[in-house]
Amino acid sequence: MHTTRRRFIGGAAGLIAAPHVGIAQPAPSAARTLKAVMHADLRVFDPHWTTANITSYHGAMVYDTLFGVDADFNPQPQMLAGHGVSEDGKTYTFELRDGLTFSDGAAVTAADCVASIRRWGARDGSGQHMLARVADTPVVDDKTFRIALKEPYGLVIDALSKISASCCFIMRRKEAETDPNAQVREVVGSGPFLFNRDQTKPGAQYVYDRNPNYRPRSEPISGMSGGKVVKLDRVIYQNMPDETTAMAALRAGEIDFYEVPPQDLIGELESDPNLVVQALNKTGHLGWLRPNFLHPPFDNVKARQALLHLINQSDIMRAAFGQSDRWKPCGAYFGCGTTMENDEGTDWLKTAPDLNKARQLFKEAGYSGEKVVILHATDHYLANPAGQLIAQWLRQVGVNAELASSDWGTTLTRRAVRKPVAEGGWNIFITASTSYSLSSPVGNTGHAANGEKAWFGWPTNPKIEAMRDEWAAAPTLAGRQAVARRMQKEAWEFGQHMYLGQFFRASAWRKTVSGVIGMPELVPFWNIEKKA
Amino acid sequence: MLTYIVRRLISTVAVVATVGVFVFLLLHLSPGDPAAIIAGDNATSEQIDGIRSKLGLDDPLPVQFVRWAGQVLTGDLGVSIFSNEPVLKLVGQRLEPTVSLTLTTLFVAVTLAVTFGVVAAWKAGTLVDRLLMVLSVVGFSVPVFVVGYLLIYVFAITLRWLPVQGYTPIAEGLVPWARNLVLPSIALGLAYVALIARITRATMMEVLEEDYIRTAKAKGATTRSMLLKHALRNAGVPIVTIIGIGVALLISGVVITETVFNIPGVGRLVVDAIAKRDYPIIQGTILLIAAVYAVINLMVDLSYVVLDPRIRYQ
Repeated sequence: MHTTRRRFIGGAAGLIAAPHVGIAQPAPSAARTLKAVMHADLRVFDPHWTTANITSYHGAMVYDTLFGVDADFNPQPQMLAGHGVSEDGKTYTFELRDGLTFSDGAAVTAADCVASIRRWGARDGSGQHMLARVADTPVVDDKTFRIALKEPYGLVIDALSKISASCCFIMRRKEAETDPNAQVREVVGSGPFLFNRDQTKPGAQYVYDRNPNYRPRSEPISGMSGGKVVKLDRVIYQNMPDETTAMAALRAGEIDFYEVPPQDLIGELESDPNLVVQALNKTGHLGWLRPNFLHPPFDNVKARQALLHLINQSDIMRAAFGQSDRWKPCGAYFGCGTTMENDEGTDWLKTAPDLNKARQLFKEAGYSGEKVVILHATDHYLANPAGQLIAQWLRQVGVNAELASSDWGTTLTRRAVRKPVAEGGWNIFITASTSYSLSSPVGNTGHAANGEKAWFGWPTNPKIEAMRDEWAAAPTLAGRQAVARRMQKEAWEFGQHMYLGQFFRASAWRKTVSGVIGMPELVPFWNIEKKA
Repeated sequence: MLTYIVRRLISTVAVVATVGVFVFLLLHLSPGDPAAIIAGDNATSEQIDGIRSKLGLDDPLPVQFVRWAGQVLTGDLGVSIFSNEPVLKLVGQRLEPTVSLTLTTLFVAVTLAVTFGVVAAWKAGTLVDRLLMVLSVVGFSVPVFVVGYLLIYVFAITLRWLPVQGYTPIAEGLVPWARNLVLPSIALGLAYVALIARITRATMMEVLEEDYIRTAKAKGATTRSMLLKHALRNAGVPIVTIIGIGVALLISGVVITETVFNIPGVGRLVVDAIAKRDYPIIQGTILLIAAVYAVINLMVDLSYVVLDPRIRYQ
């Protein structure tokens, strides 16, 4: 036999196809498959290990939680048939509902829940705050366990039901006993979807199939609570790093859902009659700036206060998102539109930007021309324009501002450097969080002011720390709101961090898709239907 | 000849080893910390330190290097820090799209470029020649992503003839496979067309001035026979060389093309890994690419013997 061109091409095609022979699997129909482009690549599969939101999305697909929050953010039982608290407020009892099984077929037990709470509590801010007050977590029987506290603590249910990363997802005991600093290797949950590892290609696509053994609750869906009824056979998270391509793919019907399209081009999507454009997170995000408390000039409270008067939130929002009704200035320390919103100590917002005031405060702080380094992530949708504007405003008031431009990954590394600027340190870090997560003085690590243990910038303020504990111990919502009010006043005077504006990023999906649940922090894929 | 091949293969190993050392050092000495990226935006320093320690990223650099080199020598490129998947498996998942894109691009580029180059040389100085060379310069000058977006706009969004993005494995059918590759192959191939066409034209013009071409003409050879049988074969060595060099350009072009057309290939794997500082993937993939490039160079060198019997390797 001699080699001909035809044989050569045939052979080459065969070689390319060879890896697929024998592994072909029947895929669900296109009408029962939803393809979604999410806000980030799913890099880590362990939702306790990382605080990355996208991993919480993955967690919500494959794991279940003891509680969910309804559309009004009230905790509701999810995996539980019942729960109660002792009269002294120190012992909580939880009973699992019937029919809960992991994807390996094993029943979910109380021991799995206790191990999961312990592991989550070792990593999450709210969990750590709660576990510090926990005396014991006894397992009563296969379906019942308790949390015994050293002292009454009002946030047990809130902490277990939180939907911001990291959520208290329930894993098998086997995985939950993994060192909290190491990643869990197997993805075995009891949630509404199964993680299809065979079809998943890290960095390209992540595949979830309907869990046929999942038994949803009977209550109607509300936020992240109620019956998680799955109406699709498969959901695929497609990682599409190029925004222009993702927009074109949505318009061409190649994907069904695009979580965060480029916001400055949202008008183009709104004009497409085949698409729905809507902000799912009604309380939005807050851009924020963190000064470094360890080094001059922001080790001085006057310099931090100067930043409040320097920033023009509207200009930053306009630069990042264009002229739109999807952003607004916000002076509420716990976020506008949240249950903790108040107007205490927000006079600065009425007059900001006031460059003369900022200049005067820097002078009072004894600023003497030292370099102020702004960590400037050029690939971050908000940090990039905000960094440039803030540098410009600082220069206008006589501050020697310098942008340390890099990618987000490098910025994350440098923000951990505690050394002075001359040795690779920094003065200003810019990021964004959901208003929902910022609404909790305990849940958001940025609100902590416990020095070396605090979030980057490392502020020290015993008054704020005491108020965080007081807030957590308050038994009623009104009590917490009162503490939040005092805490906000102190935080603005202290200059814990500065806000850059509140914004509501719109998502877009094909009109063939319905039942999308609008909540902050998570985009659930149960309840969603797709018409052919 | 065999001795030459063995010698070249040994030198290839040395090249790959050198690349390995440089990649390792560059990665670990440049800023970036996978532990910080894993931990996420809201993690504290304490949490990041815990992850770094668990992953062995706070070990001294020589210790980390010896650990990695030991793995590589046993054929193990390591495991992704993030997904926990073996690097070889991840590369294997991405190989088919990249190989497909590279082959179809080469096919498009070489077919068009050699035709353009031969015609331009034959019609040297005429309007046809100038038109083809202007087209080549434009193709070389316009960035791949611009061509890519234009093609998507025209053929995928406006005309709806072809898909915007994605890749369909060849096992799912030749037609869907080809439909996904048409636009990226053209976008990537255009720059390559320009490069090869200009070299083909220049070399062909030189060869067409040779005595034996004049003799062939005098003996009544047809234009087709003269161009393809006598001239093109003798112009083959520089053309094959530029194709070989072009493969390096192709590798960098593939990265952009895979991003624009959302093709889950090796190029995107590397870029994503760089963004998140997934050291084992970056190191392993760069090593493999270096090895492939060295082997392609060897194959180009060996092809000279076939194209020009006067060439001998000792």
